[in-house]
Amino acid sequence: MVLSSAQTPPWSPAPSGQATPAAPPFRAADAPAPRLESTADPSAGAANARAHRELVAELRGKLAAAALGGGEKARAKHVARGKLLPRDRVDTLLDPGSPFLELAPLAADGLYDGAAPAAGVIAGVGRVAGREVLVVANDATVKGGTYYPMTVKKHLRAQEVALENRLPCVYLVDSGGAFLPMQDEVFPDRDHFGRIFYNQARLSAAGIPQIAAVLGSCTAGGAYVPAMSDEAVIVRNQGTIFLGGPPLVKAATGEVVTAEELGGGDLHSRTSGVTDHLAEDDAHALSIVRTIVAGLGPRAARPWPLAPVEPPAVDPAGLYGVVPVDPRTPYDVREVIARLVDGSRFAEFKAEYGTTLVTGFARIHGHPVGIVANNGVLFAESALKGAHFVELCDQRGIPLLFLQNITGFMVGRQYEAGGIAKHGAKMVTAVACTRVPKLTVVIGGSYGAGNYSMCGRAYSPRFLWTWPNAKISVMGGEQAASVLATVRRDQLEARGEPWSAEDEDEFKRPVREQYERQGNAYYATARLWDDGVIDPLQTRTVLGLALTACANAPLAEPRPFGVFRM
Amino acid sequence: MFDTVLVANRGEIALRVIRTLRRLGVRSVAVHSDADADAPHVRAADLAVRLGPADRSDSSAAETYLRTDLILDAARRTGAQAVHPGYGFLAENSAFAGACAEAGLVFIGPPPAAVELMGDKINAKEAVRAAGVPVVPGSEEGSPSDEQLVEAADRIGYPVLLKPSAGGGGKGMRLVRDPAELPAELAAARRVARTAFGDDTLLLERWVDQPRHIEVQVLADTHGRTVHLGERECSLQRRHQKLIEEAPSVLLNPRTRAAMGAAAVRAAESCGYTGAGTVEFIVPGGSAGPDADDVLDFFFMEMNTRLQVEHPVTELAVSVAGPEGPQRLDLVEWQLRVAAGEALPFTQSDVSFLGHAIEARICAEDPERDFLPTGGEVLLLDEPSGEGVRVDSGIAPGDRVGSLYDPMLAKVIAYGPDRPTAIRRLRAALAETRILGVTTNTGYLRRLLAQPEVTAGRLDTGLVERSAQQDASLLSSPYTRPESIDLLYFAAALLRQLELGRADASDGWTDPFSLPSGWRLGGEAAWTTHRLRLPGRDPVTVRCRMTTSGEIESAIGFSATAVPEWEVRLDDAPVRRARASRAGDLLRLAVDGLQATFTVVPERTPDGVTHWLGADGDAWPVHPFDVIAERAAAGAVHHGSLTAPMPGTVTVVKVEPGERVRRGQPLLVLEAMKMEHVISAPHDGTVDDLRVAAGATVAMDAPLVTVTPAEEPAAPAPPLPEAAR
Repeated sequence: MVLSSAQTPPWSPAPSGQATPAAPPFRAADAPAPRLESTADPSAGAANARAHRELVAELRGKLAAAALGGGEKARAKHVARGKLLPRDRVDTLLDPGSPFLELAPLAADGLYDGAAPAAGVIAGVGRVAGREVLVVANDATVKGGTYYPMTVKKHLRAQEVALENRLPCVYLVDSGGAFLPMQDEVFPDRDHFGRIFYNQARLSAAGIPQIAAVLGSCTAGGAYVPAMSDEAVIVRNQGTIFLGGPPLVKAATGEVVTAEELGGGDLHSRTSGVTDHLAEDDAHALSIVRTIVAGLGPRAARPWPLAPVEPPAVDPAGLYGVVPVDPRTPYDVREVIARLVDGSRFAEFKAEYGTTLVTGFARIHGHPVGIVANNGVLFAESALKGAHFVELCDQRGIPLLFLQNITGFMVGRQYEAGGIAKHGAKMVTAVACTRVPKLTVVIGGSYGAGNYSMCGRAYSPRFLWTWPNAKISVMGGEQAASVLATVRRDQLEARGEPWSAEDEDEFKRPVREQYERQGNAYYATARLWDDGVIDPLQTRTVLGLALTACANAPLAEPRPFGVFRM
Repeated sequence: MFDTVLVANRGEIALRVIRTLRRLGVRSVAVHSDADADAPHVRAADLAVRLGPADRSDSSAAETYLRTDLILDAARRTGAQAVHPGYGFLAENSAFAGACAEAGLVFIGPPPAAVELMGDKINAKEAVRAAGVPVVPGSEEGSPSDEQLVEAADRIGYPVLLKPSAGGGGKGMRLVRDPAELPAELAAARRVARTAFGDDTLLLERWVDQPRHIEVQVLADTHGRTVHLGERECSLQRRHQKLIEEAPSVLLNPRTRAAMGAAAVRAAESCGYTGAGTVEFIVPGGSAGPDADDVLDFFFMEMNTRLQVEHPVTELAVSVAGPEGPQRLDLVEWQLRVAAGEALPFTQSDVSFLGHAIEARICAEDPERDFLPTGGEVLLLDEPSGEGVRVDSGIAPGDRVGSLYDPMLAKVIAYGPDRPTAIRRLRAALAETRILGVTTNTGYLRRLLAQPEVTAGRLDTGLVERSAQQDASLLSSPYTRPESIDLLYFAAALLRQLELGRADASDGWTDPFSLPSGWRLGGEAAWTTHRLRLPGRDPVTVRCRMTTSGEIESAIGFSATAVPEWEVRLDDAPVRRARASRAGDLLRLAVDGLQATFTVVPERTPDGVTHWLGADGDAWPVHPFDVIAERAAAGAVHHGSLTAPMPGTVTVVKVEPGERVRRGQPLLVLEAMKMEHVISAPHDGTVDDLRVAAGATVAMDAPLVTVTPAEEPAAPAPPLPEAAR
C-alpha cells in the first residue's frame, strides 16, 4: 500500500528514530472545521443555571476556606516569624501575574476532622522564569506542615505529574515530617513517605531538575527533600535541616544544641554542604530559585503544532444553563463542546454511527485535541467508535480529552449476546494503551465500566477533574440499593420469610445514602481520586493550561496496543 | 547673497539658522563635536564638519565649538563665505569676528569694534550715556580697583550688583546688600570672572529692586539706517535665567515705547552697529501701567550684539508695512541680507505691533529638585502644533541630553491677537509637549503662566523665585501631590501589569501561562505585586488583581476591546477599582471613575525597565524597586564589617577612621598565600572601627574595618547665579 502525502496530517509525528522536522505552520483557515451552534432552549436554562451557581458558590466557599490553611492564629504566628504564607510564597516564586494550575486544592476535605485543609500542602503547575514547573509548597500553618496520609498522596501525585509531563520540581519545604499519630498510614507502605525521595532520585535520573528551598523545618525524613535535590537553597536563621531535632539529640546523646547550630542555614551552606545557596529571607530564597530555574535551559520542543488561540464562538457563560445538574437528565454534549473549544469549531468523526458517543477533533487554547464525549449509555457501536477514534489520535499524536457523563454500558441479554463486553474491552484497551496525553473531565455521572472506558483515574490520564455536579460510583445509588435488595429478598424468600415494602425501603435507604455521600465530587477529591473539583466556567482555562503543561513532555514513540478481542 | 554659510553653533539655534538658509537657497554647513555627531543640527545641514581633538577624547565646548581655528578651517574646507555664530559660544567674541574678517569670511553680526565696545560693559555704558541713553548709576571707567569699587558703592548706594566686565552671557553676577560683605564678594566675583573669562575686571552698579527686564530689538543696515522692532519683556527669570519672554510688554505705553526705541537706536548708532542686536533696559517696578501717559523711567543695562534666544516673539508680534501689505520679519534672513550688504527697505514708521507673542524655554532641569540640571535619552518626543504655535527645537528622539552644553532643549512660542489668547495657547501647547526620558521644566512653565501676577502682567525679575517660595506646589505637578500621587503609582503598576503580557510564539500561539491574569482555581485572582520608586521618594508597593473570574481569556489577552477591571492597592491603603488600557504610547486610567491619560514610554536600564509617565507637560521616571537587590545592599551594610577572606598579613592601610569613602574605594591590602587581596568599601560611607594596622597578622574571617553607610547621597552644589542672556 502506498500512502500519499495527503494522508499524513501536518502534525503527525516523525517516523521513529528521526528528529522531528520543523512542522509547517498549522493553517486552520485552509480547511476550517465547522462551527457548532447552540440549539439549547434558553428558557429551560434558568433552573440549571441557578443550581450550578449554588454548586459553584459552595465550591468557592470550600476553596477559600482551604486556602486559609491552618487558620488565623497559625497564620499570624507564621507571619510574625518573618515568613511568607505558603500561597504568598507560591505567588512570589511564579512569574509576576502568571496563572497557577493548582492540583487537588480540596485534598483531605472533610478528613481528619478538618484538621488538614488542602492536606497541608500546595501543589500545582506554574510558570517560573518562562518555564512551567511543578511546585510543592508545605503549609506550616497546618499542623507544622506535617504529612497526613493525604499529604503524602498529594505530594506523590504532584511528582507523578512532574514525571509524566517532564516538569522541573520546586519544593518549598517547611514541614516537620510525618504526622506521627498516623505513622502507620504514612510511613511503611510503597506509596508512603519514603516514595517521595525514591521519586526525587528517579526524577533526577530522568533529567527532571529537583530544586528545594528550605524555608522552615525540614526534619527527619523531610531532611531528604533538600538532600535529594539537585540544588538547594536555605534561609538563614529560619530554615533548618536535621535528621533528629534538638530534643531528640538531647534524649539520645545528652548534647544540648540549638536548632540553628544543629542544622541552620550557615551550617549547611558553609560547613555540611547540604545546601548550595544561603538566602536572607523567603523572598531572597525564592529569587534564587527563580535564577536556578532560569538557568535550566530551554524546554523541549512542543510535541504538536500550535495554532493561534480563538475564544469559543458560543459564549461559555451559557454552560451553567445547558448542563442539567441531575445526571439522569439527557442533553446534547455538543452544547458543552461548543463552549470549550477554540472558535466552537468541531470536526466530528463518525457523527452518524454509535451516536451515544461523540468523537471529533478540535483545538483548545491552540492545542489540538481529540474529544471523546458521552451522549448517553454506551452501546457496542459507541465502544467500537471510541476505540477507533482513540487509535486515530494515537497515530496522529493528538492529545485526548474525555468528557465523562456515563451511566455505563448497555445491559441486557441482547447486548451481552452481541458481545458488548468484548466491544467495551476494545475501547478500554485502546484507552489504556495509547501513548498520547489524556485529559479527563467528569462533567456528570461516572459509573461502572463507563468510568474505565472513558479514562477514569485508573487509566492514568495526565489530569482528571470533576465538576461540582459530578457523581462517581460503581453504579447509581438507586441501582445499588435495588441490586442489594434483590439479593436480600431472594435470601429471605428462600427461607420463606416475608419482606414488606416498608422493610425493603428501610433496607435500601442507607445504601442510597452511602452512595449519595461517597459518590459526591468532594468525597472523591478529598481522596485524590481527581486533581480537583472545578467551576465549569474555568474548564477551558484549566484544559488550556494543562495541555500546555503536557506539551513539556515529548510524545512516546508509537507502540503496539494490547490484543483487541475481535 | 552668500551661497554657503557655516553655522558655528549647535542645538536649537543652529537648526533655526539652517531653516532660514534652506528657505533662501543657501547651502548650510554645520559643525559638531563628537558627542553631537548625530545631532539634529548635523542631520539638518547640507554639510557637516567635525570639530574636536583627533583622539575623540573631548567634546567640551572649549575643545570644539569655541575653537576659532577649527571653525575657520571648517569654513575653508567647505567653501563657506560667511559664518553665523548663533548665540552663546563665539557670538559675542570680537576676536572671533576679527579672525573671520582676516580669513576673508563675513561674520554675520556687527563689526568687531561694536562687539568689543558693547562687550566691555563699562565702556558700553559710557558710550551710550554719551549718546544720551539713560543708564543705571554705577562705577565708572577702566578697571577699577577694589577700593574704587567700594567707594563707588558708597556713592551710589546699596544694594549694588557686581558684574564681570568681560563675558558674554555674563556669568558670576553678585548682589550685595550689606557693605560689610562687599570685599569678600569682590574677591569671589573676580575669581569667577578670571576663571570664566580670563579677565577679572569688574563693574558695579545700583541694584534696582523689583525691576522689570525690557529689551528692544534693533536692526541696522550698512547704509546708515537703524530701526527698532519694539520691545520684549523678559521679567520672568530665575537666577538671571530667562524663562518666559513676550512682546509687546504690557507695561509700556506708546510714548515710553517710542522713547525706549529711540534710545535703543541711539545706543546702536553710538557703536556703529549693523545687523540685529538687542538693547536691554531695566525698568523700576511699581511704574505706572500702560494707561498712564507719562514716559516711564528706564535705564540701559547692556547691548547684546547678536541674535537673542527670544527673537521669535518679535518675529511673531511685529508687523512691517510693505507694498504687499503687512509682513512679519525673519530676523535671521535680515541678518544675512544686511551682512550681504543689502539695505533695509522699510523705515521706523512701517513697524508696528500686531497681536501678542509669548515664548517659554524648555530646559533639562528639575523644578522639584531646585532646578538641578537633568539629562538622559529623549525616549519620546512630541512637540505641539496648532493655531499660533511655533516650536524652535534642538532635540530629536534618541538624542542624549548631557551636561556638556546648554540645558535648553526647545522653545515653544505662541501668538494670539491679544495677550490672554497668546498665554492660553502657550499653556495648551506646553500641555501637549511630550518629552519623556529627560526631566524638563515644561509642566512648571505651564503652571507659572497660570499665576495671577503673570496673567495680570504684574511682572518683575524676582517674581519667579518669590512665587515659588509662596506656593511650593507651583514646583510640582498636581499628580505628585500627596492627595493624587496614587494615580501615578496605579498608572505605573497597571502599565507594568499589562506589559507582563502575553508571549506570542512565532506561530501566533499564545501561551496561556504567559497571560498576566493572576488566574487561580476558584475565581479570585492572585495579587500581583509591583514595587515602584519615584526619584526622591520612598519606594511603594502597588498590588493589582483582576476582578473578573472564570475563563482566563474573558479577563485578559484576546479581546482588544475588553478593558479588564482591576483591584489596586497602594501599600496598606484601601483597595480601589481601576481600569487601564493602553493604545500606543497613551495609557488611559480610570480609578473609581476618575479618568486620567498618561503618555508612557519604557526605558531599559541595568536595574530593569523604568517607565516614563507624562501628563500636562510633566514627566516622571517610575523605577522598579528590587527588594532583593536593596536588601542585599542593606545586608552588606548589616554585615557591614569587612573581614579577612584568608589568613594573612595586612600590608597597607589606606584610610583613617572617620574618613569618608566611596563605594569600591580600596581600604586596605591583605597579603596571603603570596597574593594581594584589596579590601574595598562595599558602599559610600564613613570608615569606622578600623581594627588593624599595617603589619598586623590576621586570621581568616577576622574583622578588619567597618564602613558605615552614608545616609543620603550628597546633593550637588547649586549652580552659581547666571546672568540673563
